[in-house]
Amino acid sequence: MIKKITYLAQACSWLAVLTTVGMILLFLGFLGVRGFDTINPTLFFGNTPPWGAIIGRLPVWHGIWPACVGTVALVLLSSLLAIPLGLASGIYLAHYASGAWKRWFSLAVEVLAGIPSIVMGLFGFALILSLRKTVAPQANTCLLLSAGCLALLVLPYLILMTQTALEALPDELRQAGLSLGFTPWQNMVHVLLPVAGRGILSGVILAVGRAAEDTAVILLTGVVANSGLPSGILDKYEALPFHIFFLAAEARSDAELAQGFGAALILLILTAALFLGAYYLKSTFTKTWDQKNLSI
Amino acid sequence: MGPKKPVDLEPTVLVKSLHVGFAGREVLHNLNAKFNRGWLAVVLGRSGSGKTTFLRALNRLNECFPRSATRGSLKLKLQGEWRDIYRNAMPLPELRRRVGMVFQTPHLLPGSIADNLALPVKLVLGVPRRNIASRVEWALEEAHLWDEVKDRLNAPAHTLSGGQQQRLCLARLLALEPEILLLDEPTASLDFRAALKVEELLLSLKERYTIIAVSHSLSQARRLADEALIFRDGSVVQRLSREDLQAPDTLQALLEEIF
Repeated sequence: MIKKITYLAQACSWLAVLTTVGMILLFLGFLGVRGFDTINPTLFFGNTPPWGAIIGRLPVWHGIWPACVGTVALVLLSSLLAIPLGLASGIYLAHYASGAWKRWFSLAVEVLAGIPSIVMGLFGFALILSLRKTVAPQANTCLLLSAGCLALLVLPYLILMTQTALEALPDELRQAGLSLGFTPWQNMVHVLLPVAGRGILSGVILAVGRAAEDTAVILLTGVVANSGLPSGILDKYEALPFHIFFLAAEARSDAELAQGFGAALILLILTAALFLGAYYLKSTFTKTWDQKNLSI
Repeated sequence: MGPKKPVDLEPTVLVKSLHVGFAGREVLHNLNAKFNRGWLAVVLGRSGSGKTTFLRALNRLNECFPRSATRGSLKLKLQGEWRDIYRNAMPLPELRRRVGMVFQTPHLLPGSIADNLALPVKLVLGVPRRNIASRVEWALEEAHLWDEVKDRLNAPAHTLSGGQQQRLCLARLLALEPEILLLDEPTASLDFRAALKVEELLLSLKERYTIIAVSHSLSQARRLADEALIFRDGSVVQRLSREDLQAPDTLQALLEEIF
């Protein structure tokens, strides 16, 4: 009887794994088949000469290059805003907060995690409206506003992953450093954070992925269908997810729809590249950490 | 080798009516004790009798646990000067460096064998980079570990055996030039042979340090101790000299008392 249940459980877990992997392969295959053929310089730059487009001298009309640049800029800017804040909050929650403060702060993080992205977009939109009516009449939706709202959106992932990774460390690791005479800060920087690095990195990856794919927030805070390369963080910009959404909803020909699939594939590749970048950063951090401390 | 008593014992730890509690529950009650340099004291007692809490009171590590409260006077002679450590006589990191601790299980830092020594030496002592290697070697020699690890200093520390890890922890302490060593059942996680090596090491160190070791093994206490303190319910109920420990009838009484 027990043997039968074990077999059944094994079969079920295999089925679950195969289903997941199968769905992913199916999805990638579908996107590949529909999008792969469209990946060529024309997809990126339309009829503009590529070099002129890349250095931004010539405007691109029918390509996704400005959207790619916009998305990368958006993700980098929102990471820049969110990662330090998220790490700091996670560290605070895991090691310094206690009692009522910790409860209230955790509640706030949970509430923030529960906010739908469209509401975050509305918040950004309302913020600009109120700014226009009060202190800054020229304020407008822009790259910075989108990045700020996206940072708010991904902040809870970073906080929770940092907090969980730090709290999961064994007590003895904390005591080891302190008993040797490390200050709490030295213990955090040289012992706890490096060990918790993997967990924190998965928070960063989640956040980056979320920031790259979100459409609802940017829809209301500054993205447009056609603006060329963003000329600054206070400028309108294009972004891949919005471009895909726009093409899917309003494609006027099969070629445009195909371009949508191509753009989706590029977004996927871009996100994967950002993940790899995050891994690379982490491994260099670990390496410099080793070198700094080895010293012999 | 007969029992030998140093002529002049230099007291280095004075504990007077020490009370320690966590979250309102008192663990140590009105504890009094005295320890000397060059003298290996072993603390014996049932589990839960407050042995570990007592050790952690000496380097103020109890404060890392929620809602700890300490009352009473605890004076340590550090750098030749008496200091009441609960009256802020010394910054905490400095105190913990001078009063080193080894735990029941090896508490390793992340990284290699060399990292485990180099990191504290660099961060806590501020030893310049060019002098770190020689200090690491010196500490590993002191802990009788150098010959076993000199060819793989960059291997991850957790690849060492349990006994080696525990000696690595001791080497790490010694590298920081402590004056008092607190050992919380340092051989509890080791097999007999590895435990003997650690004991040998302790005996070779005791001339230069004040050593307070918690043990759960009476035979270990008989091998190591110049003096044994018997803990029960958070206070010292008996003190035994080296001669007392060797005498068969005290042994019987002790067995009943402790176990």
